[in-house]
Amino acid sequence: MRNVAEIYKREIRFYFTTPVAYVVMIIFTAVFGFIFVRNLTFYSQLSWQLMQNPSYGQRIDLIMGVFSPAFSSNALIFLMVIPPISMRLFAEEKKSGTIELLFTYPLKDVQIVIGKWLAATSIVFLMLLLTVPAPLMAFGFAKSAEWGPVLAGYLGMFLMGLSFLSLGVLISALSENQIVAIIVSYGALLGFWFLGWAVDKNSGQQVGKVLNELSVIEHLNNFIQGLIDTRDIAYYVLFIFTTVFLTLRVLESKRWRG
Amino acid sequence: MIKIEKMTKMYGMRAVVKNISFEVQKGEILGFLGPNGAGKTTTMRIITGYFPPTDGEAFVAGYSVIEQPLEVKKRVGYVPENPAMYTDMRVNDYLRFIGAVKGLPKPRIGERLEKTVGQCALESVYTRRIGELSKGYRQRVALGQALINDPPVLVLDEPTSGLDPKQIHEIRELIKSMAGERTIILSTHILPEVSMTCGKVVIINEGEIIAVDSTDNLGHKFTESHRIELKAAGNPSKITDMLKKIDGVKGVDGGAGAAVSAAGFTIEVEKDKDIRAEVARRIVEGGFDLLELRYKSMSLEDVFLRLVTEEEGER
Repeated sequence: MRNVAEIYKREIRFYFTTPVAYVVMIIFTAVFGFIFVRNLTFYSQLSWQLMQNPSYGQRIDLIMGVFSPAFSSNALIFLMVIPPISMRLFAEEKKSGTIELLFTYPLKDVQIVIGKWLAATSIVFLMLLLTVPAPLMAFGFAKSAEWGPVLAGYLGMFLMGLSFLSLGVLISALSENQIVAIIVSYGALLGFWFLGWAVDKNSGQQVGKVLNELSVIEHLNNFIQGLIDTRDIAYYVLFIFTTVFLTLRVLESKRWRG
Repeated sequence: MIKIEKMTKMYGMRAVVKNISFEVQKGEILGFLGPNGAGKTTTMRIITGYFPPTDGEAFVAGYSVIEQPLEVKKRVGYVPENPAMYTDMRVNDYLRFIGAVKGLPKPRIGERLEKTVGQCALESVYTRRIGELSKGYRQRVALGQALINDPPVLVLDEPTSGLDPKQIHEIRELIKSMAGERTIILSTHILPEVSMTCGKVVIINEGEIIAVDSTDNLGHKFTESHRIELKAAGNPSKITDMLKKIDGVKGVDGGAGAAVSAAGFTIEVEKDKDIRAEVARRIVEGGFDLLELRYKSMSLEDVFLRLVTEEEGER
């Protein structure tokens, strides 16, 4: 436990003594903030117009009108800002050679992987925490608060963020070049994204359904509409577990081969 | 303290270390000698628990590197060749971090840090970032991270490569000062380093051990002759002829073409024969001037070259 904590502390210190964490968090909150505020103003104009016709007014709400689209576009921002967090975790240590000493310390591989993974996870958590003023502001204007669906959306975004991150960590363990690691991460994440589009899920073909279920983005849809489905949670948890497990295997096999 | 048994390491289909065995006793400094690419680093990495051998076994303090790598790692301090450390960290933070990672209990870290910093003379760079340090200081920080948890075994991979002569001297003194209390394996391809710091030598070439012995013995064992270096003034060819007549002389080199005022000769003499007095007398009696007379035993360098080339000749 102490070993995990030490690795964790060292990685966190790295993120905050170098510009990495700040740059990523600033870009993320700026883009998210812009999209959110734009959605909110559009929604308020729309609701003014709909006030003329009360029967339409019942069809819209803050969740569907503001949070869902903002959270949904958040997937794209995550796709851009998470690989820069994950790319260095192993690639840098391999390139600079620090991994040689790390592997001669009395640490288990799993402690190293978990320590690093938790540090990067904390950055993702912090990024989401920085967006909390957005719903506070929106609910402040609306004078009513519906936190349940928003929290569900946050849970979904967090799980999706960790999935992106874990895939990035795996790729970082495979490469010793950070540029290669980040580009491959983008490619792999886009691949998991497009899986759902490869075949129309309503075409009746079984393969369409399967690919759709595998898509890392599709499983966010329920969350951002305020729905927590165990199938979606299971998907993300399994995705994270598998990639972290593969990371361990990769490190082990690289070491055996020398 | 360290025991290597029939150990082999393959990289793919290529055997880098082939069935080697040797032992290091507690408190010994072992010189691990061989040309570049001989398998020194690979052997050392196995001893540190970095990776397991393909075949055979290695034990450190009785623990197997395959079965109990964590116990081995707790007892070995390792300084790789060109040690890479976290350049973004300050020296004190870095050593603290390594101490914690190596399992030092929190209350002991401060005390060990102080000792290590003193031992490696790091006081003046205590709060500097490792990335800003010179090569010599980095080497000392690397030694510091190896020593921080007071391990009984030290593995040093070419600890003096790339340092300036003063730094080399300092590092060697530091290593020598630890003899007796720690078991040290030191790899190098610089031969004088071995005779200066090590009590025992393992010579390795192309993954195979070709000699294991004490540093002094190795010199003696492979010496079939020794040499006398002589400087004398007079007719060089006459001196050469005269020297060749002395009993025990196997050959005389040099002298030819040199100035009459002072010619240098190398006399090869049979093993166990001391003819220095005889040479001096003859020179003076022959009417020449004796300027310098020096006995020279076969250096480790000669032994090494001879072993490595003999080995290659057999193939």
